[in-house]
This record gives sequence, C-alpha cells and structure tokens, in this order.
Amino acid sequence: MANILLTNKCNRSCPYCFAKREMEESSEEDILSWENLIYIADFLKRSGQNRVSLLGGEPTIHPQFVDFVLYLLERGFDVTVFTNGILSPNRLAECREYLTKVRLDRLSFVCNLNDPVQTPAPPNESLRLQEFLSEMGPWASPGFNIYRLDFKLEFLFDHINRYGMKRNIRLGVAHPVPGKESGYIKPSGMRKVIRRLYAYRPLFDANRVSPGLDCGFPICKFTDRELGWLGRFPNPSHFSCGPAFDITPDMSVYHCFPLSNYKRRSLFEFDSMDQLFEHFAQLRQEVKSEMPGIFDECDACRYQESGVCSGGGLCQVLNRMVGEAPVRIAEVEHELDKSRMSV
Amino acid sequence: MNSIKVVCPFDSELIAGLEGQNLVVKVDDLSSAVAAAAAVANSRNRLICIQVETAERLDQLQFDESLTTTPLAVFPAAFGNFRQLTPQLSLLRQLNLRVYLGGDNRENLAGLRIMASLGIHGGVVLGPGPIDWEGLADLMTYAVLERTAHATIEPFSYIAGHYDPLSPLDWSAFYFEQPGVYLHLDKQGRVAFSRTELQSGRFFAESISACGEQANQRKIEQRRESWREFFLDNHPCASCVGWKLCLGKFAGRLPSDKGCVGFFEEMLELVRQYRRQCERTDKERPLWQP
Repeated sequence: MANILLTNKCNRSCPYCFAKREMEESSEEDILSWENLIYIADFLKRSGQNRVSLLGGEPTIHPQFVDFVLYLLERGFDVTVFTNGILSPNRLAECREYLTKVRLDRLSFVCNLNDPVQTPAPPNESLRLQEFLSEMGPWASPGFNIYRLDFKLEFLFDHINRYGMKRNIRLGVAHPVPGKESGYIKPSGMRKVIRRLYAYRPLFDANRVSPGLDCGFPICKFTDRELGWLGRFPNPSHFSCGPAFDITPDMSVYHCFPLSNYKRRSLFEFDSMDQLFEHFAQLRQEVKSEMPGIFDECDACRYQESGVCSGGGLCQVLNRMVGEAPVRIAEVEHELDKSRMSV
Repeated sequence: MNSIKVVCPFDSELIAGLEGQNLVVKVDDLSSAVAAAAAVANSRNRLICIQVETAERLDQLQFDESLTTTPLAVFPAAFGNFRQLTPQLSLLRQLNLRVYLGGDNRENLAGLRIMASLGIHGGVVLGPGPIDWEGLADLMTYAVLERTAHATIEPFSYIAGHYDPLSPLDWSAFYFEQPGVYLHLDKQGRVAFSRTELQSGRFFAESISACGEQANQRKIEQRRESWREFFLDNHPCASCVGWKLCLGKFAGRLPSDKGCVGFFEEMLELVRQYRRQCERTDKERPLWQP
C-alpha cells in the first residue's frame, strides 16, 4: 500500500520522530497539489490498488485535507489517515461536516497518541486532541510508538473506552534513522519491549482490544505463548518489513521514512507499483547481502529464509551496519557519510 | 442551410418563430434549462444543447434529476470547492453534460482535471481574458496521455482523436463559434457571426430566414473561408508551426502574448505521441470509458 504525504509540516515534535530528517530536508512550502494527487490516484488505480494512507508531517494541516479525502473516496479508495489528532477548530469543523458522513469501513484514522505523563503535551494540544477524538473517535484507532523500555499503555484503553474508538491498537517500535540520533528501540531492548507488551494482555483481553504490530518486531524475540496470543486476532501480526512507499508532495518516492535518502526516485520514473516493488527490492537485496538482520542469529534463521521474519526493520539493519560492519554498498556508504557529517 | 447551427437566447416567441433549425439555447440560470429544452421540443426545431452561462460557481449550482434528458453545456464562473460539489458528483455523471471553465487560473484547470478523473466531461475556455499557457499545457498532457480512464477535456481530447497531419482542424464548435457554421441570434432575431459581434451589435442579417438570400449566403461562405486571409495578409500566424491546430484563433493576442506559439507546438508533439501510442497498441486508446 502507498502512503501519500500531504505535507512535510507537523504541529508536534515527538522525541522519537523518524520522519524528522525528511521534514528537515524538505521545503516548508511543500504541500501536495491537486495535480499530483490526481496523478498518484491514477498511478495507484492502474496498479490495481484500492487502499491508500495519508501521512505528513501532519496531513490534516494541508488546506485541502478534507477535499483530498473526499476525492480519494470518490475514486474508490479506502482511506486511512495517520494523524496526531491536533486539529485547528476550522479543520475539525470541516471533518465534522463532511467526514462524519463517510462509512466507517471506507475511512479510518490512526491517531498516534503519546503517553500524557511520559511524553507530555501543552494543555491546548491535549484539549484539541480530546475534541478531535470526541468527534472522530468511531473512525479512529489509537497508534502508539514505543521509544522507551518503560512505556505504558493504560491511557490507550482509557481513550478507546472514553471516545468510542476502534478496538485495535497499532503498536510500532520507534525506528532509527541510520546515522542520525533519535529516540528508538535498540535490538538489545526488543525482548524487554515484547515482555512488557505481553504484560498488558489482561488489559487487552478485558477491554476486547486487539494489538496490531507494525514492522520491525523480530519473531525470535517472542515466546510461543506470546505468538499464540497474537495469532488469535483477526488481523494476525506479521514480522516482515515491506516497503511502505512514501510519496512526498514533490513526487519523490522512497522505501519508508527512516530510509528516505536511499534509492529515492521520482514517481514519474515508474509506470506501476510492480516497478516500484522491484526497485526497492534491490535495496533490500543489497543490504541483506551485507547483513541479514539485526541479530547475528539472523544469518542462518529459518524464519528469515522463509520470509516469515525480516530480521527487524531494514532501517534497523542498516543502522546496525553503521557501527558494526564495513559497508560495501556505494550508495549506502555515501548516504551514511553525509549523515555522519550532519550529526 | 442545414449545416447552419443557431445560438439564440431563451425566448419562447423567438424559438417558436424559427423552423427547421438546430438550436443552442442560452440561459443564464440552470433552473431555466428544462423550460428552454421544452420550448425547443414544442417548436419545429431540433435541440443541440442548452448553454448555461451563470455567474455562480459550479459548486453552487443545484443540478437535479429533471435535467437527465437535457443536453447541457454549463459555463460556471469558477469551479469552487470540491467538498461542496461532492454530493452532486453521482448525478453529474448521469447527465448529458459538459462543464466549461476558464483557462485563466490554476483552480479552474485543477477543477477540470478533477472532474475528468471522476468521469465528468469538461472544456476549457481559452480567452478572451488572460490564459495560463503553462497550466494549460499540463492539463493537455493529462487529457491526452494519461492512461487511466478519464472523461474528455475539450478541445484537447477532440484534437487528439481527429488530428490529421495533412489538413487543418477547427475545434471552435466546442464553443459554438465555428465561423460560418454557428450563427448567433439576439432577442429580435438579428443574426451575427460570432458572440463578440453579437455583443457589439454587428449583425449581418436581420433574421435567420434572411440568411438564405444570395448576398448573405456569400457572407457566410466568406466567413467559413476567412482563414485564408491570414495567408493573403502574410500574417505571422500563417507561418506558425501550430497553424493547423489554432487557425489564427489567438492572433489578437499577438505580439504581447506569444504563449500560443509554444503551446500549439507542444500540442502537436503530444498529438503525435498519442498517435504513436495508438499505433503501437494497434487501436485507438479510448479517452473515456463509462
């Protein structure tokens, strides 16, 4: 599935943000135009795609956010919006007027929430988030990025119940941007994260909420009991790292935020999603031939060979290379050199 | 006279007084369109379409199902807000409709692209005001070369489909302005060759029936062949690479606005590219599929 970045601007500054580098290096004026949106929609349609995600920065900042959502729905796409839920009163009013009429199965929001204690926000941001969830709660499911080992999830269940949100939590580990400093979970911390996550099982079960794991979790760090629990939910978790294809307002396309500088190309160079897959499969191939995964054991792992697990996210693998392995991929080395200079 | 098409205002008496004509009836309010179509149906004439020229934006117009059987050429003031248009999109796709928007600003050009991508036919109005040639070239590329199914944007789709390298192509019929083919009537039934001449009171005949007179027939014939004057006058348009497609339509803008030269040059290249695509696939690529 493709992610369309409506804007590079964001109204929040999260300590773990792995899109920060991309946003820092792009023009502040960059917002997606109607012409480019239509081009992307046509590109996805002829590639047989029927789902699309809208990202940013913060996508709701885009002045035509509501129009773009309505347009994509009209083109037959199911739309998922990744938002922080901090909307201006005007934008929220537009959402109320136009988006609350959309069927729940056509439009959904993943509202990335921060723990109000561990990652506090200014009071006006909290208020706006509450207002957003009060209006759009039934369309939204919470998303949570784990960037510290002592994370807490209790507040998410509270939000689900209070605002009638969808009973699914998208859980992601904060990713490193290779060569850059940001808050993220190191491979050595994976087991601790998973153990802590599983400790919330009673709350998940009691509230009838399902966990949805995003990319980057290695399967070997789960016990059979933990995997058995995850396997009981309708959308089983996966342990692979597939390219998300982020398409920026200036029509660049890359593997994902943390790898925004690797094999980045213009969407106009491609005719279909298949060609994009092929292009980014090359990046994967190059990195994996150097280093199969984030752990030494990944080298001979049967799950890695069979494609069940990708040995952590590609960005995690690449980040491991920075400190531990000689890099023999010219393009990767070049990008890492640039990163080192800017750190 | 059969090849003549008549553009007239909505006036029941005027329409009733005509006979055997192909009519484009002008109204300034969408709500009058059904009545105008009925007036033609009750007369001894044939309706080409109702031309709605309104000061309202497209998103402000209230279309309804009574218009389903009425061919419409709607010229709104602007595209407006997509969000406000959304509830009407399904109906718009069912209508026999082409929406014309001015080619002078990016919002309208984007609006035409939005509509085409959603299956609603459009047309871009080229002048008399400023023209965004660069934006227009982008829109033309979309209209002609985009492979995902979309509705037509005229005159581009027509030109792509009908271009013949050996002969000139006149597409002004989309604006009811083809010289010597579309005649324009005022409320008194006086006849002018163009909308501009109608507005400035330059009539060449006192009534449509007078157009059959030999002198007026000659005038009509002369108007049809008026493109020859560019060559007789040695006008720069006559030696322009884009002549076959523009036929000097933008001569009045020269020399201050030379955007048309590059634009029609690009159009020719696009059309050739489109033709090559069609040859490769051994068939004409449909520009729109229902």
